[in-house]
Amino acid sequence: MTPENQVRFDPASTVDFVIVGSGSAGGILAKELSTAGFDVVVLEQGPFRTAADFTHDEIAVAFLHELLGGGPEIHQQTFRDDESQVAVVPGRVQPAEYVQGVGGSSVHFTGNFWRFRDVDFRERSLLGPIDGTTFADWPIDYAELEPYYTRVDWEIGVSGSPGPFDPPRSKPFPMPPMPVKSSGVLLERGANKLGLHAQPAPLAILSQPFNDRPPCINCGYCMGFGCEVGAKSSTLAAMIPLALASGHCEIRPECAVFRLETGANGKIGNVVYYDPDGKETSQKARAVVLAANGVETPRLLLNSASPRYPDGLANSSGFVGRNLMLNAHALANGVFEHTLNDYKGVQVTRIIHDFYDSDPARGFYGGGGLDARPLFSATPIFFALAGTPTDGPSWGAGYKQTLAHNFSRQMSILCSTTSLALDRNNITIDPTHKDKWGRPSLRMTYKDHPDDLAMAGFLLDKAMELFDAAGAEKAWAYPIGGTTGGAHLLGTCRMGDDPQTSVVDRYHRSHDISNLFICDGSSFVTSGRGQPTMTIMALAFRAAEHIARAAKANEV
Amino acid sequence: MGSEPLSRRHFLAGSGSFAALVGSPLLRAGLPGLVAFSASACTARDEGAAFEVLGAAEAREFEAIAARILPTTDTPGAREAGVIWFMDKSFGSIMKDNLESAREGLAEFQSGVAAAWPGAKVFSDLDENEQDRYLQTQEETDFFGFVRFATIAGFFGMSSYGGNRDNVGWKLLGLDGQHHAWQAPFGHYDAEYMRGEQNDA
Repeated sequence: MTPENQVRFDPASTVDFVIVGSGSAGGILAKELSTAGFDVVVLEQGPFRTAADFTHDEIAVAFLHELLGGGPEIHQQTFRDDESQVAVVPGRVQPAEYVQGVGGSSVHFTGNFWRFRDVDFRERSLLGPIDGTTFADWPIDYAELEPYYTRVDWEIGVSGSPGPFDPPRSKPFPMPPMPVKSSGVLLERGANKLGLHAQPAPLAILSQPFNDRPPCINCGYCMGFGCEVGAKSSTLAAMIPLALASGHCEIRPECAVFRLETGANGKIGNVVYYDPDGKETSQKARAVVLAANGVETPRLLLNSASPRYPDGLANSSGFVGRNLMLNAHALANGVFEHTLNDYKGVQVTRIIHDFYDSDPARGFYGGGGLDARPLFSATPIFFALAGTPTDGPSWGAGYKQTLAHNFSRQMSILCSTTSLALDRNNITIDPTHKDKWGRPSLRMTYKDHPDDLAMAGFLLDKAMELFDAAGAEKAWAYPIGGTTGGAHLLGTCRMGDDPQTSVVDRYHRSHDISNLFICDGSSFVTSGRGQPTMTIMALAFRAAEHIARAAKANEV
Repeated sequence: MGSEPLSRRHFLAGSGSFAALVGSPLLRAGLPGLVAFSASACTARDEGAAFEVLGAAEAREFEAIAARILPTTDTPGAREAGVIWFMDKSFGSIMKDNLESAREGLAEFQSGVAAAWPGAKVFSDLDENEQDRYLQTQEETDFFGFVRFATIAGFFGMSSYGGNRDNVGWKLLGLDGQHHAWQAPFGHYDAEYMRGEQNDA
């Protein structure tokens, strides 16, 4: 429910900023720009939920896609492996998964908050080119972003303690890590035996009271669910209240933007959207910040094509929608003699970063991390549908016995890897499908680079070694298949100094349109090692600073 | 099997999405619709009311299949959990779009029974060994995948959806109802760790 007492702006008047999207980046940009005194309207296509709206209802959340605003039949996203195919609407889960609602996907994320490291920003220079890819360096480095990572720690709320491979930090974590779970203990046990280094997981979940928010109560419903107490550090919990309190920010939920209109000067003057009643309306603004996520942002730019910009807005490079990176994954499960009860508490309490750096000795590019988590054994339906051993029964008395025995004794090791940027992996506009608002749907084209899958396989072998070393009674790995979708939506409006090969500059301003800023996962140049949200938030703090400076100097 | 109405778009096996299965009309109605549905599902199950959607004969068949997927053993199974009530209510709401296909699937499923056991009218007439033998021949069909999914959702979903009577599904897994808060230690190994035992056992 939208707060009744928030400031209201007349759509016909010109506000300083319209921000499209209220998630990991949009929520921070809204808070930063409004508390700096700018008048801000945030257009969010989903509803304004509060902590009281979130439940443990697995049917509604995990299977009716309540937080996502519905499933594939609603959004009509399409998918294909390569451009030779006709993309289709998948029957099970949609290709790009993200929350529709205030706070965006920071509402349902698991909260793994790994910082990028220096290598993530300049790996192209360190390793050289990779044929067939658009592998590139970022225009900024870790040192440039470090102060903003620290702001995320202290203003969003991150728990943790330093690990042996962590990049330098200017300030300690604001609070200790969450209590270790049995899955974390067993990962650490395996790592100790193999000479690896398990470290406490940095999490965007509060281990102590912080900034007038309560600590985690270990309910176990983090992954995919909204936090009922506000201990998960979503922008809904940490930023939106501050933005509203500024008196300069209006959140307009259930408003679906479908076009950005440019004026005679080539600048964006109008943001056009469907209001909650489905009525077409618009908001004038001095400048527009797109923070709609790594698939919705390029979709909107492409859907805003006009005679002046026939290939879509901000797309003189042709890079809008290109270089989509989803992070590859691999997964193994293990069952132990005693109870873990891993359905209690946060998902992840220990991670391993020994394989973060790419190592030429492996024969392929890539790096990644491993983490211990319940995954399937966090929630009953998910576990019963897909969590039992792949070589065991899937119905009958034996199946039932396995469910009863394994649920409290089972854990997963999840492997997350780099994705190489490839022109062939992209977001375009589907020529036939439309979403429930009638907006042309996004079409995802994606096929992992062979090195991404090789890295996933390398980590999967390590996961099985870890289970063996930790004393698992049984362990099994899932075959590594091609990625057909994901929640890490990266790279589709990459930042760079060269307007020929990037969409925004190092300060997130469009190379083509001076009053358009883009800041979300689309800004990424490389994918990192599988946990991007910490970096999306750090980029948002940094972008807000530069955007505010430009606006104050009347340079938007 | 393999008939068009039973395509994978409508029937899923494994870890698929409920929304893809059901067309999610309640989602469009919003959360209040879900709440109303849940309340009526509970009332119907607990009071033993008549089925709202399924006829008695087809309900007996769906329940018989569910009862072999999660059988009654030393602990309650699908029958005791009231899974059929979940199915009945869902066929009138969140699985409404699948009712026709499910009925077609059931008819084809039953024709296989009649072919294999001349004289037996329907699946629920078979004894448990016969039922299991027949289900083994159906494991790869979309229809079986759908009934398995609905059985699991009805057995382990919140009881407000009509199944999981007295939380028997959660109790099977070791969950005593739906707690909302826990504190460490959570399990055997972290309890050891908290006691300071060396982590290399």
